[in-house]
Amino acid sequence: MLATILEELPRFLTYYNLLFLAQAALATLALSAFGCIVGVIVGFVLAFVRLTPSRLWLPLRWFAFLYTEIFRRVPFLVTLMLCFFAFQATGYDVPLAVVGAVTVALIASAFIGEIIRGGLVSVHRNQWDAAATMNFTLPQTIRHVVLPQAWKIILPPAFGFFVMFIKDTALASQIGVIELTYAGKVLNNKGFSAALSFGSILLIYFAISYPLARFGKHLENRLAASRHHRT
Amino acid sequence: MNYVFQYGQIWPFLPRLFDGALVSLQIAILAFCGGLLIGTACAAVKTFGPKLAAWLIDIYVTFFTNTPQLVQIYFLYFALPDMGILLTSFAAVLIGMTLNAGAYLTEIQRAGFESRRVSEMEAAEVLGFSRLQQIRYVILPHVARVLFPPLSNQFIIMTLGTSMAAVFGVEELTGQAMNINSQTFRSIEVFTVAAGLYIVLTLVASVALSLIGRFAFRARTGLI
Repeated sequence: MLATILEELPRFLTYYNLLFLAQAALATLALSAFGCIVGVIVGFVLAFVRLTPSRLWLPLRWFAFLYTEIFRRVPFLVTLMLCFFAFQATGYDVPLAVVGAVTVALIASAFIGEIIRGGLVSVHRNQWDAAATMNFTLPQTIRHVVLPQAWKIILPPAFGFFVMFIKDTALASQIGVIELTYAGKVLNNKGFSAALSFGSILLIYFAISYPLARFGKHLENRLAASRHHRT
Repeated sequence: MNYVFQYGQIWPFLPRLFDGALVSLQIAILAFCGGLLIGTACAAVKTFGPKLAAWLIDIYVTFFTNTPQLVQIYFLYFALPDMGILLTSFAAVLIGMTLNAGAYLTEIQRAGFESRRVSEMEAAEVLGFSRLQQIRYVILPHVARVLFPPLSNQFIIMTLGTSMAAVFGVEELTGQAMNINSQTFRSIEVFTVAAGLYIVLTLVASVALSLIGRFAFRARTGLI
């Protein structure tokens, strides 16, 4: 296997192949970043809705609850297929990248929503009660009382989710979104050995994921330390 | 958008989806058990073994936790035949998932190994517990309580992860859904039913696991 790889390497390392791989890596990063940015925004709204106390919000509260539960319990691939065929059913010609982006956003919102809710809820009940006594509204409570304490709990798992999500987006290749895994398949179809094409894809994923994972660990340790220090 | 839902065409295929769900569960359980063996062994070596072995295990864990499972299985399925190792798609998926699970479970198990307390073991020794009794009555209940929630969480994640076996043509739940889709062309119907089955599957697993955790290990697991 090693001999074939060495033999193919000069043919593999051409400018256009490398450009293709770089673009694919950017697409992977863009897809996961988009998912996480939308995920943070929608996830925050979902978490907020689930914390509302009044009866008026009950239907919305149920919707937010069901949304998070459903999308966390359906595999990425199935959600992807559903989005793909749902877009097809609308009859509009939507680019595959958009289908991928919508899927990723749907899933990330559910997961990040749960992370944010967990973080907000972890702030001691007394703090919420104290804010209520001061006549704070729910947005004010979250903005001025809960979030300043909760973000340290939310950030490490949210970042961990982001790192994990980069790897999950590999499945978007299955509907033909041109990202890193798809690039590996293209290179393999171009005649390069599977060991070389998928091996290099594995290395690129590693090069993206490893520094981020290390940074996440660092973040976790630092925030844990500062939290420990203050109490 | 005037899509007419026709679930009627799907019902005859429901037994096949159930069969697929069983295959999914089978892959998840097999890979989880294999991964648990690898994870426990690796964590034990990392905690008690020689430096070099710990270092090699570190490489294994970092590599497998930082690359996508899908591409790992691609590599096993398409690159290994060049070396003369021909795997069936089921075997490739199973091996890939087991190795991947092994890496994640090493991390989880290591936390368990580290949570054991020397003072507890010393206390047990003073009370005249034999080594086996120490493990059975002191270490295991404690470690199981710490480990049960993350382990069951990992099992649920892996149950969902089995869906990528469909990419390689294994006829588990997603694979069956894809087959039925190409037979009936009722795409949205098939995949919503498959999604519903996944929800049921993971809910049943969550409830079962949290009950086991509560009664066997007194672990406080909420529904995952």
